[in-house]
Amino acid sequence: MRILLIEDDVAAADYVAKGLTEDGQVVDVAHNGKDGLFLALNERYDVIVTDRMLPGPDGLSILRALRASAINTPVLVLTALAEVDRRVEGLEAGADDYLAKPFAFSELRARIRALARRPAAQAEEHELSVADLRMDLLRRRVTRAGRPVELLPTEFRLLEYMMRHPGEVLTRTMLLEKVWDFAFDPTTNVVDVHVSRLRRKLEAGGEAPMIRTVRGAGYVLAEPHPG
Amino acid sequence: MIRLRSFAPRMALAVAVVVLVACFLGAGWGWLRAQEALRRQLDLVLAAEAEGLLRDYETYGLRGLSEAAEVYTRRRGPLLVLLQGPDGRLISGALPGAPQALRGFATLRPPGGAPLRALGAVLPGGVNLLVATDLSSVDRAALALAWTPPVAGGLAALVALGLGFLLANRLERRLAAMNGAARAVMAGDLARRLPESSAGDEFDRLAETINEMLARIEALVAEVRQVTDDVAHDLRSPLSHLRQRLEAALARARDPAADEAVLESSVAELDGILATFAALLRIARAEAGTGREGFTRLDLSALVAGVAEAYAPVAEEAGRSLDTVLAPGIAATGSAPLLRQALANLLDNALAHGAGTIHVALRPGPEIEVSDEGPGIPAEEREMAVRRFYRLDRSRTTPGTGLGLSLIAAVVRLHGGALILRDARQGPMPGLSATLTLPPLPDA
Repeated sequence: MRILLIEDDVAAADYVAKGLTEDGQVVDVAHNGKDGLFLALNERYDVIVTDRMLPGPDGLSILRALRASAINTPVLVLTALAEVDRRVEGLEAGADDYLAKPFAFSELRARIRALARRPAAQAEEHELSVADLRMDLLRRRVTRAGRPVELLPTEFRLLEYMMRHPGEVLTRTMLLEKVWDFAFDPTTNVVDVHVSRLRRKLEAGGEAPMIRTVRGAGYVLAEPHPG
Repeated sequence: MIRLRSFAPRMALAVAVVVLVACFLGAGWGWLRAQEALRRQLDLVLAAEAEGLLRDYETYGLRGLSEAAEVYTRRRGPLLVLLQGPDGRLISGALPGAPQALRGFATLRPPGGAPLRALGAVLPGGVNLLVATDLSSVDRAALALAWTPPVAGGLAALVALGLGFLLANRLERRLAAMNGAARAVMAGDLARRLPESSAGDEFDRLAETINEMLARIEALVAEVRQVTDDVAHDLRSPLSHLRQRLEAALARARDPAADEAVLESSVAELDGILATFAALLRIARAEAGTGREGFTRLDLSALVAGVAEAYAPVAEEAGRSLDTVLAPGIAATGSAPLLRQALANLLDNALAHGAGTIHVALRPGPEIEVSDEGPGIPAEEREMAVRRFYRLDRSRTTPGTGLGLSLIAAVVRLHGGALILRDARQGPMPGLSATLTLPPLPDA
């Protein structure tokens, strides 16, 4: 996967680039808006990660320039803590995701992966499936190996999001944002409780576990490992 | 000290100049009109005299007429009468350079004399009659009339200048006082206020507005100071814990397992500190009133239902229960993320510090009430509970930043509403009832 990282804080950029490279990604780094925009317009990337505040054109200007040039590469905008409430502005400018600094590297990695594997056209899908798990989006029904699974609306939304990102680590923050629209971390373990209930329902027929907990990071929905 | 760069004298000078110019233009126009009117008047007089002389001629003949003309000539009065025979010979009167056989009105300019207005007629029998009068008196009268406005205008301009300078003095004094006060505030004396007179004029109204602004600034600065103190106080302890832990680990012999445990707990502690920072920044932004530009009309019923749905299983897992009574179709104007967070904070609080069933109610108003069956907050501590980092003694050991209620209060204030804390019921376990009231929609 080719990733463009636009970040003016050299130490932070090195840290992120090193982590992504160790992860097996190809990373180009630009330390200002001008170089970043040049690379973004002239090279092909799978994901672009840009800081919001940059010397030269800032992250949102780069984003608008890309979208105006019909370049629809997924863009993740990094923002200072003080601007956490301005994510709407970034999303309106065409950002695909938003992450406040400082962040855990695992959070950034999970979000980059989710962005890169985003299906191009979601509107066409009527059914999702992972292993023996099926979700009928029209009739809003879920079956596991043919056995109907009764889900509450929130559990359905949670499972739908996980089934759209099979095999990817989904962090608690991502789930809170995408499933509950919570742009903050509640002090109570909202996500864990819902995931464990969903897990119980999916395994009620004695099936193998499909939702795996990744310690310190989040959850993965994947085909159960044999054994 | 009056300088021309100040407003009132400049204004007075401009008024004076305009008045003077207008007066001179008016005078010119008045002079023309007056001269014209006076000349027409003079023509009527000449015509009347000529008619009288004609009647004399018809009654007494040429002799009578020339006698009358002689009388006029002797009088050296304003009127000159001249009689000329048909051959141009002068019969009576004297006027050097008089034209021969003048018909009708004309203005004559005899060499070396003042201009004359004349009326000529031919009498039956061929005698030429010429009646003339001096024009200079008319011109003098017109000029005298025309001079009145500039003289009055000049006086008015002088008065305007004088008043302008007086006014400038007063303005200068009042503005200098205001200026001085403003500079004192700039220099750091935030308690200083602009002087207000008892006149209640526009300056007082301005001073009043500015004073209100200064009071608000003073309050905000005091608040910032308070926040800084709170932050310093409440972040110092987790940061020094962290430092001690890392220092101790560093001093110890390297042991991968132990190091990993220390690093993990340090990251967890740092995350807690960052969460506190995020909450503080949110409170600060909400209190500064920023974020109101992101307000939209939102379905409060759906919002509350969504948050309640997220928390119901959490309550159940904790051996509690969540009971909702939500009025449908209630709308409000606001920020969905902030209201969601405020409500989630209330539920977090009820779960962490309350007991028994948590009741969530949404009622028209709109108002959202979250209550529980726990010990509640004593009445005397409620006001303090909303302050940053304030934690009841019994909740010192439970997790939390101590910012939940102050964030809720800030969010509600940003929305123009209020946070009301009270006992949910009477008895030894009164339970805390927290009500968020929001302003009704303008068109509701």
